[in-house]
Amino acid sequence: MSKRTPIQNFFFYLIIVIVLLFVLGPYAWMISSSFKTAVEIQGMRPTWIPQTFTLNNYVEMNTTVPIVKYFTNSIIISTGTMLAALIIGTLAAYGISRFKFWGRELYVIVLMATQMLPGILFVIPYFMLFKWITDTFGLPMTNTFHGLIFTYTSFALPFSILMLRNYLDSVPKDIDEQALIDGCNRFQALYRVIIPLAKPGLAAMGIYAFIMAWNEILFAKILTSTKTRTIALGLLQYISQHQARWGQMMAACVFATIPVIVAFTAFQKQIVAGLVSGATKG
Amino acid sequence: MKNVRLLGYIFILPAVIAMILVHIIPMAWGILISFKDLTIRTIRNWQEAPWCGIDNYIKAFNPVSTVGQRFMRSLRNIVFYGFFTISIGFFIALGVALLLNKPFIGRTFVRGVILIPYITPDSVAYNFWRFIFQSRIGILNEMLLRIGIIQEPIMWLVGRNTIWAVIIASIWKGWPLTSLMLLAGLQTIPVELYEAARIDGANAWQCFRYITLSYLKPVIKTIMIMNILWNFHAYNQFVVLFGENVGIHAEVPNTLIMREAFDNYNYGQESALSVILMLLMLTITVVYLYVFRQRAEE
Repeated sequence: MSKRTPIQNFFFYLIIVIVLLFVLGPYAWMISSSFKTAVEIQGMRPTWIPQTFTLNNYVEMNTTVPIVKYFTNSIIISTGTMLAALIIGTLAAYGISRFKFWGRELYVIVLMATQMLPGILFVIPYFMLFKWITDTFGLPMTNTFHGLIFTYTSFALPFSILMLRNYLDSVPKDIDEQALIDGCNRFQALYRVIIPLAKPGLAAMGIYAFIMAWNEILFAKILTSTKTRTIALGLLQYISQHQARWGQMMAACVFATIPVIVAFTAFQKQIVAGLVSGATKG
Repeated sequence: MKNVRLLGYIFILPAVIAMILVHIIPMAWGILISFKDLTIRTIRNWQEAPWCGIDNYIKAFNPVSTVGQRFMRSLRNIVFYGFFTISIGFFIALGVALLLNKPFIGRTFVRGVILIPYITPDSVAYNFWRFIFQSRIGILNEMLLRIGIIQEPIMWLVGRNTIWAVIIASIWKGWPLTSLMLLAGLQTIPVELYEAARIDGANAWQCFRYITLSYLKPVIKTIMIMNILWNFHAYNQFVVLFGENVGIHAEVPNTLIMREAFDNYNYGQESALSVILMLLMLTITVVYLYVFRQRAEE
């Protein structure tokens, strides 16, 4: 590595600062606006720092839109999706990673291909499928938590399985065999030995499924109504044709970002490693 | 041995069942109804809806019909959007990845911070961009006015500029992941190569061209094809920034199909458009798998 001259150094850090401003600017605007009064937002020239600092937006955001309820809904749906994807995905990833069976290659290709299917294709069939399940088995599906969890789990699975497969491939197979010799059956070997070793991979996969469910808009729009509405949709309700409550919306945005930031900070290393390996190894 | 094979099937079974229920059956159903004249009147009893052959497909490609016109326009828009979002995003990502690959004070911090756009939920990110783009009360116009780049506020969210608004917001959201992958690729390049090249008299550009880029080539290929595919999935950014009615300048296949289904209640037509979109994406996927195979063999 060659040393940089002071001038090069200056430009180097200048570019870094510009990048940071580009990334953080919109965030700063969200946070600062969430502390502004409605009068300031609507009536004055926009500034980066609130002229009168107020917490009203945070107090009132829940009276305009039941955002806390939507937040809880999203927590239930995203956590459910995460757990279901973890259980089903771990089994499948372990199966592909450890066993040779007829159709394995084909299955991996199908997994890759399903990631590419446009979600929009499923919208109407889903609607009809859910209705059919309700009519035939008497099990309500639309506007329920389990309906949405089921949907999101299946959409999160292909990428999750591929990501975790990559991770499990890096765990030596001798370890399984050792566990089998010690008297475990396959499920015990997976549960007692492999899962503890694969924790970083599992964390990445869980977070991926959680964030996917937290973000989704298309299916949430069709399959939920007021009872199960998610926070992603709730945020849109602050702007109606009659009134735009930007301050409250920004406060709600801050609120909606918290779980993702918390999860990310806790598992940053694993997520980054998981994303990179999932992406660079296909 | 036979037992072991059976166990493999048992492990993947739950995932396979879920996928059949959620991907295969709905897909088949979707293809089926794309050949039917299924509307709000016939949805109650969909089996009774009349078959209409490939009418829905013909309409989609007929430049005279309303649907055909809209569909072509939406494809043009998504290609335009994708071209600028992906290319500009890629150059920012590559530039920043090269910087982050050099040692400097605070590197870990910067690397953490640039991931913020990626982890921010779509609904949050595009909602605050929507606020930033407000013509009178948004901060973007205010800053551009102060610096003197523009003389009067730009209407970002109405009319011609809409596509640029969504491009800017999507670049902000999308480049960090690309950058991270490129950085991972950069870190696999042995430093000795650069030293050897320098001794042989190579200049900085030659080092970049012949060492950096050739090492990054497989990663870049993957990133590009993934981005191109994801591009056709684009929906969230459009619906959050513009609401239900995105307007003709930012109409993309997904928003058009949603409108066809839930405003015009033309489910058969909606399905035909989705199937066309799927075939388009499958074509790109085949290319992707082909490229991936090649890489695995290298």
